[in-house]
Parts: sequence; structure tokens; C-alpha cells
Amino acid sequence: MTSVRFVFPKPRLNELLRMPGGLPVAEALERAQKNLEAIKPTCTAELLALLELCEASYWNLKDAYDEPAVTELYSLAVKGIGAGEVCGVPSVDIALTSFCDLLDHLRTLKRYDHDAVGVHVRAWRLLMGAGLPAAGAEQILDGLLKVSRRYSAEARATSAA
Amino acid sequence: MALDVASRARFNLDKAAVLLLDDTPLGMSILVQIVTGLGAKLLYRCTSVEAAQEVAAQHEIDLAIVDAMAPEGKGYDFVEWLRREAQEPNCYTPTLITTAHTPASDIVRARDCGGHFIIKKPIAPIVMLERIIWVAKAGRPFLFTGTYVGPDRRFRDDGPPDGIGRRREDLVKAAAAAEAAASPPEADEPPERSAAS
Repeated sequence: MTSVRFVFPKPRLNELLRMPGGLPVAEALERAQKNLEAIKPTCTAELLALLELCEASYWNLKDAYDEPAVTELYSLAVKGIGAGEVCGVPSVDIALTSFCDLLDHLRTLKRYDHDAVGVHVRAWRLLMGAGLPAAGAEQILDGLLKVSRRYSAEARATSAA
Repeated sequence: MALDVASRARFNLDKAAVLLLDDTPLGMSILVQIVTGLGAKLLYRCTSVEAAQEVAAQHEIDLAIVDAMAPEGKGYDFVEWLRREAQEPNCYTPTLITTAHTPASDIVRARDCGGHFIIKKPIAPIVMLERIIWVAKAGRPFLFTGTYVGPDRRFRDDGPPDGIGRRREDLVKAAAAAEAAASPPEADEPPERSAAS
């Protein structure tokens, strides 16, 4: 029989949050937002550097499945998620999530799809551009999600087996 | 749980020791900007599990914000270590896990490592603040089993499935209820007494 023990800890954080002083919620959120705006230029530069590494990795890939190469692409894409919002291109976060989904499915299926990967890499570059209208970005994202979802059911079935 | 962005309610993170674990400069930078904006001053910035373990072994931590660090998911390993190996009170530290993407193979690991909450990136400051306030206040019990150590993951108590539990006392209660339902109250007894028996 499994033994289960319950403990009721009292985290000190609760007391600290209630201490006199501190910040009003509105002011704290405003400060956090300002801080994020301050790192926008460096964040954009880092996101572009990741994109360039990703493009280089993509062009080096052959048509056959190569696990380390796919993992490398995944590692680059996953590092960028979250930065899009800070850089003022939130659609990049959605595109990169779709890209990671696709790469995860391909790793599960041990398969490679050069076109599906390529369309995500090119979309990342397009979505980083400042002049892209919102409707255009939406269409791109819609297309990317269709591509990554193409493999999701099969990957789920393989994982379950 | 939703916070009003215009709220004048105050909270104080001045004295809270916050451990941040993220192996990417980009992720760490975003996290630091959010947390310092919310008023945290004492930050332990760690870029590896080993560094975070060292900090947790030497300092009392009030809040841990740990990135999952895909694709290896080393952040989950740290949280598991924190729950199983760290000394009190750090083993109970409120822990938020941030994740950019969770590979299908890591979903169970994410659920079972012992974090309080998983936050999907991109992280909005208001979401971070809501979760910090929630983990501080929630007072969730900690569970120690052979396979899981961490905060109780049950958010609601819906009772046992189909209304009948498997414990001895549940079965006794169920049998009594069934018996009471099967035998109609005697005519000469007052209804209150019959219902109470």
C-alpha cells in the first residue's frame, strides 16, 4: 500500500507580500512594461541572431531525417518564444510555437519534411518585418498552423502506441 | 484570480528572495525585467541547474521562477531536486515554471516535477503577478508519496467518482445510505428521528 504524507507549509512569501510599503498593482505593471520596452532593441537583435542561426541550420539539412539537426533547430526556435511579444512582433511567438510543434512531431515520427520546416523558417523572417499588415500576418499564421497540425494526429498515435 | 490592471492595491516583493533559473540570456533578461518591475530586489540569477542547486543549498528562497529549459527539460529536474533534496523551508518554496514549448514527451514530467504553476511564454507582467500572488496565498498542502513530492495538484474536491469512495468509511456510509433508502420510515416514528438514524 502506498503511504501518503501531507504537510501544510506556511510560505514566508505570503507575509512578505503583505508588508507595509511595496507598490500598487497598476504602478508595478507599468514599471514592468517599461522595463520590457527598454530591452526591446537588444531583444530584437538576439531574436534576429537566432533566426540567422536557424536559417543556416535549415540550409545545411538534407532530405533524410537527422535527429541531432532537428533537435538543433528545435533548440533555436524554442529560445525565441516569448521574445516576439517584447519586440513588438507577437505573431513571431505564435509562428515559433507552431514551428516547435512541427519539429516535435517530426522527432516523434522520426521523419523530416524539408518544405514544412522551410515554410516556418521563411515565415519567421517575414513576420520580423515591421511593414507587414496584421491581416497578412494572420494569413501566414493560419497557413503555418495547418502545416504543423498535419502531423499532430499521427504523432499522437505514435506516442500512444 | 484575475487582477485589475488599474488596481491601487499594494503588494511588497522588496524583501523576497527570488531564484531565477533560465539558461538563455534572452529568457533571463525578460524574466529579470518583469520581476524587478514588480518590485523584487533580491534576485539570484542562475543559468544552470548546478548553480541553482548551490543557491538553494545556501540561501532561503521565497519564490523560484524556473524555466523548463526545453528540449532537455532540465528545469523540471531542478524542481524535482528542490522538492526531494533541498532542506526545509526551501523544499516548500512556491515555484513557478515557465515554458516556451513543452515537447509531448515531457508533459508528464512537467506535471509531476512538483511545481505550483506552469506559465506559458510569452509572459505578460500581469500574468506573472497574478501567479505570484496566487502561489503565496493558496496554502496548498504538500504531498509526499513514493512517486510524487510537491503541492497537492487537486484544485477541486468533487468527491469520489460516482459518489462512492473506496475507503472503508466510504463503504460503510454508502451501505447505510442504501439501507435507509430501501426501508421506508416506520409510521409510528417521527420523521426527523427516522431520517437521523
